[in-house]
Amino acid sequence: MKKHLLTIVAIIALLAIVALPVFAQGATEASASSASSKPVTIDLWYGAAITEAGPPPADWVGYQIIKDKLNIDLKLTALPSNESDQDVKIQAAGAANNLPDLFMVRRDAWKRLVQQGLVASVDDLYAEMPTRTAVQYDADSIAFTTINGKSYGLASPGSIIKNEGLLIRKDWLDKLGLQVPTTTDELFEVMKAFTFNDPDGNGKNDTYGFGAFIELNNYEEGLGRRFQPIYGAFGVEGTWDLNAATAGLNVRKPEMYDAMVYIKQMQDAGVIDPNWMAYKKDDFRAAWKQGKFGIMREQNAAYAATANYAPFDKNFPDGEWIVIDPPKGPTGKSSVGPYTVNYRIYAVSAKAAKEGKADAIARLLEWMSSDEGYYLLGWGVEGVNYVKDENGIPTDKGLALGFSTPNGQTVTQLRNMVFYNSDVELYARYPKYVTAVSGKTMSALDVLRDMQSRKWTPSIGCDTLPAPNADVKRFYEQGVLEFLTGKRQLTKDNWTKWVAEFDKIGGKAWEDAGIAYAKEAGLLK
Amino acid sequence: MAKSKELNNRSPLVRDIVRHRAVYALLAIPLAYYIIFKYVPIWNGQIAFRDYMALDGVLGSRWIGLENFRTFFHSFYFWELLRNTLMYSFGKIVFSLPLAILLSITIYECRRTRLRKVVQTLTYLPHFLSWVIMYGILLVLLAPGDGIVNDIVKAVGGQPVDFLTNTKAFPWIVILSDAWKEMGWSAIIFIAALMGIDMSLFEAAMVEGANAWQRVRYITLPSIAPVIVTVLLLRIGTILDAGFNQLFMLYSPAVYSVGDIIDTWVYRQGLLEFQFGLATAVGLFKGLIGMLLIFLSNRLTRKISGSSLF
Repeated sequence: MKKHLLTIVAIIALLAIVALPVFAQGATEASASSASSKPVTIDLWYGAAITEAGPPPADWVGYQIIKDKLNIDLKLTALPSNESDQDVKIQAAGAANNLPDLFMVRRDAWKRLVQQGLVASVDDLYAEMPTRTAVQYDADSIAFTTINGKSYGLASPGSIIKNEGLLIRKDWLDKLGLQVPTTTDELFEVMKAFTFNDPDGNGKNDTYGFGAFIELNNYEEGLGRRFQPIYGAFGVEGTWDLNAATAGLNVRKPEMYDAMVYIKQMQDAGVIDPNWMAYKKDDFRAAWKQGKFGIMREQNAAYAATANYAPFDKNFPDGEWIVIDPPKGPTGKSSVGPYTVNYRIYAVSAKAAKEGKADAIARLLEWMSSDEGYYLLGWGVEGVNYVKDENGIPTDKGLALGFSTPNGQTVTQLRNMVFYNSDVELYARYPKYVTAVSGKTMSALDVLRDMQSRKWTPSIGCDTLPAPNADVKRFYEQGVLEFLTGKRQLTKDNWTKWVAEFDKIGGKAWEDAGIAYAKEAGLLK
Repeated sequence: MAKSKELNNRSPLVRDIVRHRAVYALLAIPLAYYIIFKYVPIWNGQIAFRDYMALDGVLGSRWIGLENFRTFFHSFYFWELLRNTLMYSFGKIVFSLPLAILLSITIYECRRTRLRKVVQTLTYLPHFLSWVIMYGILLVLLAPGDGIVNDIVKAVGGQPVDFLTNTKAFPWIVILSDAWKEMGWSAIIFIAALMGIDMSLFEAAMVEGANAWQRVRYITLPSIAPVIVTVLLLRIGTILDAGFNQLFMLYSPAVYSVGDIIDTWVYRQGLLEFQFGLATAVGLFKGLIGMLLIFLSNRLTRKISGSSLF
């Protein structure tokens, strides 16, 4: 029996030894300096520019150029498109001390990795990349990634600020003889008319006033982004109030109760699409294209870009959305929502720095921002994926592999690493076009400019404030919805009790931490 | 002759391995799987007792004893998470298992080959759909505004029900949608057991005048009882795994109170917050409870029915 046991143990040990390399945390890269002739391998985890398109093909011309000119063997891995999945993937790699050399990361996850010592300081890299630093990084972006005096990430301009707006179906207003609502009271009347007066004239009771879904982030908690124009009317838009005199969590302010009462009235009157709590982003977007509701907060490109508008144009050739001002509330306040400066952080792992790859990473990023890298990553190969029009704007009209075609999109997956929201980029990205069915002239850029001209609340840095722990976050999100579903009765007394309970489980501590951070970081106005 | 003698001199295990080397070669693959994915990670399980810092590694991280376990047990929603987890686990056993048994017997008893194949295929199919797809289907069926079920409810004069965001309806949707998705797949093992029943038993029963129900009651069910016990015990062993993928996809803040289970909490608190020690502690807790339940229920079933897993 003992002999058998020994044999079994020996077999298991042998298999375990064979298996160990599987768990080895990557082969140690020979340092760049010790083998300068050998290409340096850079493992890059990037955020795909077009999530529905595949990665650059194996024979992408960029790989060879980067190898020939920079002596870098670039290995690309696309991160998941879902932000939580991104965090999990990166943090799991971090927990195994197996982060890639260069990777995109959201700020919350990045902060945790810095605390763990897994991310290298990049202070020395800025000077090594003069061209890139001039267009991509400034004092604010460096401050965004600075902890205890050291910059731990390269923060490039992220998505365009104020790129969402409150939209309304103008054709429905016209049909019902209504004016654009300017106050919350008028908005309510329009929502009722859109719900009960058959604005699409199909004889069915199948439309609603307002459409939304729950889209949360750390600076738009509670019901999330799609309800911000309503919150804005009550002066409680965003998670945080960053006014020096009244700084704190908006949920703890009395005006939040008023906003909740208004939204509850919308819910009870049935003027909001009843599916809103169950919708995911794609369901919501499918719903407005199917003409289910007539008022929403939506993003400029998600609404007006060629492919996104096409289904609506097909379903409703006479349909028309227009951007409107956010409604004014009882005290005259209004806002589309809070905005902050968006950055996209690329971090260098401590492991890569230790292996002597920092210089090669700087070389790679500097090349990306050169003319050659910028156009190759942004639009592909000239003549194949784009041509320049008479104004020097890249266009892909008439090109079989144009950068906006399904096959052409794959070669521009890294464009967010070089774009900085310049006019050239915006003109190329959002060209004017004529819709296929109704023949309307559309421009997502015009829509963007319109949205940006509306009233927003500057809340710069609100996305850098401390996040609550998971239980406090759940209590907040769940409680707000329970008041709307009727599980909790929305009365002043109940609301006050709920806020007190929220404080008790950590809400107040979260607010105190946030205010302290905002003061220290100079975010209060 | 010499070769045979040499073989005889070896230990019985080696002799056995050499003689049945093809079978042992096949065994090597699952064995390697278990070593790599189940036994090697046990070493890392100690981070449940440490303040895990990736740079310090497993051994270098500070020992904090039961602190991670305390964090879990003292968390604000602990009892609710435990209740929800057990509710879904038991709910799925109570509903899914009998349905799978019923389906397998129905398929087995069906004498129309084509119908049997169609039913089998249709009931297996949902198993291969991800919960993302299933959510899309459920939304089409159950949405309060324009879901097919609510259209019917409205047509007969009822009030639409927000099945996916109503705390009373949501648990039923979770349990029944799981039964729908997995019933066909779970039935496979019972169909396999049914195939092994001696046909002469049925023939004898028919000669004796037993009707279909009596044949099921006195032959079919007792014959597959050991398989039912085995499946039940295996399910009890994972009682604290209530179906992360399903709940993660289906739940929303409106139904957190009945939709948040231990695994979704671990995802938010452990994985998203970089508290891998806490996540591991919860994993160990679940494993321990599962093991205890398996031992207890195994002993119990042996006592009651004389049939057990080990």
